[in-house]
Amino acid sequence: MNIICVVKFVPDVDSIVCDVENSTLTGKNARVVLNPDDACALAFALGVKAGDPDCFVEVVSMGPMSVRPHMEDLVRLSVDRGTLISDPLFKGSDTLVTSAVLGRYIATRPFDCLLTGNRSLDGGSAHVPVQLAETLGLDQMLGIIRIDPHRFDSTRAVFEVEDEKTVTTYEMAMPGVLSVTRQSGYKLPYVSLSDMRRDVSDELVIITSQDLGFSQTEVGPAGSRTKVVKTYPQTYEKKDRHIVGTDEEGISYVFNFLKQKGFLVR
Amino acid sequence: MKKTCIFQDTEKTENTTDLLEVADRIYGPGQFESHAVLFADSFDRLCGSFHHIIRVAEGIVDRYDPRGICDILENLHKKSGFDSILIPGTSMGQMIAPRLAKRLQTGLVAGVTDIKNQGDHIEIIRPACSGKILESVLHKGDGPLMMSIRPNAFAYTPGDSLQTVVFAYTEPVKSCSAVTRLHVRKNQHTCDIRDSDVLIAGGGGVKESFSKLYGLAEALNGTVAASRKLVDQGIAPRSIQVGQSGKTVSPKLYMALGIHGSMQHMAGLRQIESVISVNTAVNAPVCSLSDIVVQGDAKEFIDRLMKKIAVYRS
Repeated sequence: MNIICVVKFVPDVDSIVCDVENSTLTGKNARVVLNPDDACALAFALGVKAGDPDCFVEVVSMGPMSVRPHMEDLVRLSVDRGTLISDPLFKGSDTLVTSAVLGRYIATRPFDCLLTGNRSLDGGSAHVPVQLAETLGLDQMLGIIRIDPHRFDSTRAVFEVEDEKTVTTYEMAMPGVLSVTRQSGYKLPYVSLSDMRRDVSDELVIITSQDLGFSQTEVGPAGSRTKVVKTYPQTYEKKDRHIVGTDEEGISYVFNFLKQKGFLVR
Repeated sequence: MKKTCIFQDTEKTENTTDLLEVADRIYGPGQFESHAVLFADSFDRLCGSFHHIIRVAEGIVDRYDPRGICDILENLHKKSGFDSILIPGTSMGQMIAPRLAKRLQTGLVAGVTDIKNQGDHIEIIRPACSGKILESVLHKGDGPLMMSIRPNAFAYTPGDSLQTVVFAYTEPVKSCSAVTRLHVRKNQHTCDIRDSDVLIAGGGGVKESFSKLYGLAEALNGTVAASRKLVDQGIAPRSIQVGQSGKTVSPKLYMALGIHGSMQHMAGLRQIESVISVNTAVNAPVCSLSDIVVQGDAKEFIDRLMKKIAVYRS
């Protein structure tokens, strides 16, 4: 079975600091991490491979060359092939362009299943998995919390999706795109000590815009249909607050407030 | 006259008119023609609010088939040439909107929470980086303006009743998904925190006494919610999480017990009438949004308030 995992490296959101005065984000020094949902998807794929030596796992990512060492680390985790689609021209591409680029590369590769994360930490739109599926003419499902390992092969996959009120079990004919959430709890193994310094340059392929035959006007800001014009920190209107304690007076104040507003029905 | 198409979620049907508020903000009230697309039942509630209602006939497409639903919307767009297509950012909407945008080769802005009409252009506002920042997005190109709208981010006040034309959509769908629904079970926590008027929410400060919140919620006829901290620690289920990676809520009363109020948490609070926060730190961010700040231990607060309510009711 051939599995392709599509992953993204994102700035670690917790390390981004908002500079309120200048309305800017100081994310330049932010650590880059494998998007948590994507890590779960890859972890599931590696689990399948562990039980089936014939399984071939390829990791595909689109991003700047600076994520190359991170891709190498993934390749050290019994991933068979890593592909980094990288080109300065791709910078500033929206999801429509990103999915077109990923789709054009993936269409040239053999696969039975595409695994992705549900949404990314930074953008968080969850568009790319869906638009990638549309580019390739495949079915796709978001919000997967579990894939049944016994009913996962080159013909079909059975999995669970959670939404507000229900947990639904679906069967999808393969090939298809499955997008896994962090709630799945699938965890990536650590790189073994002996693999840490292994030279993996043969197993990591770099693909450029030219390799895929894109023109300058099709990608990056020129090809994009949306444009982020500014970013600024979220602010809130302050209220005139009344501070009380947990003593009798404070509790009475809260109690009377609740009563007055009609929250206390006898 | 501009034309806007609003898709009604296949499950959560009660907030459809809120998307009219989005169209109002883009074009101005009364400056557009509204088309609602929905499944066969539950359409009478929308009569009078929309100019056109397109009812998708039973049996044409499975409700859980985003590809099939996209076919219908694509087809309708080809016929009517919408200027904008608005889709609720629900589980299903998130699978429909990007597909449709791809087919129409148009830009899509996800999880929209605000619209700013700048005269010659529209700025579309959405939270990014887990709600830490807001992005202002411009739409480019000739395609229709497409957005998925964060549930509960907009509230619509009905205007004059319109003469609604209802149309049945019966054309067969071309591209269906090869997906079968095998089994559906109810989530353990069936109460949707977005439907509750009273939310009793707990954060890191009530880690040890989270179960106490259920008693207070019952006493105030409310529902328990939680911050991400408690969800990540496995103390509360994800389905009751408030915030950017959880849900946006608009209750009448929000009681924040031991919640610090990070940017990501506050991103989930919208149009709340009253906020009471209980915190040992009066300068926690959530306290600045509060009507009342109770400085002290949340557990003690719950015990005392419950006692007072019990006396009142006996």
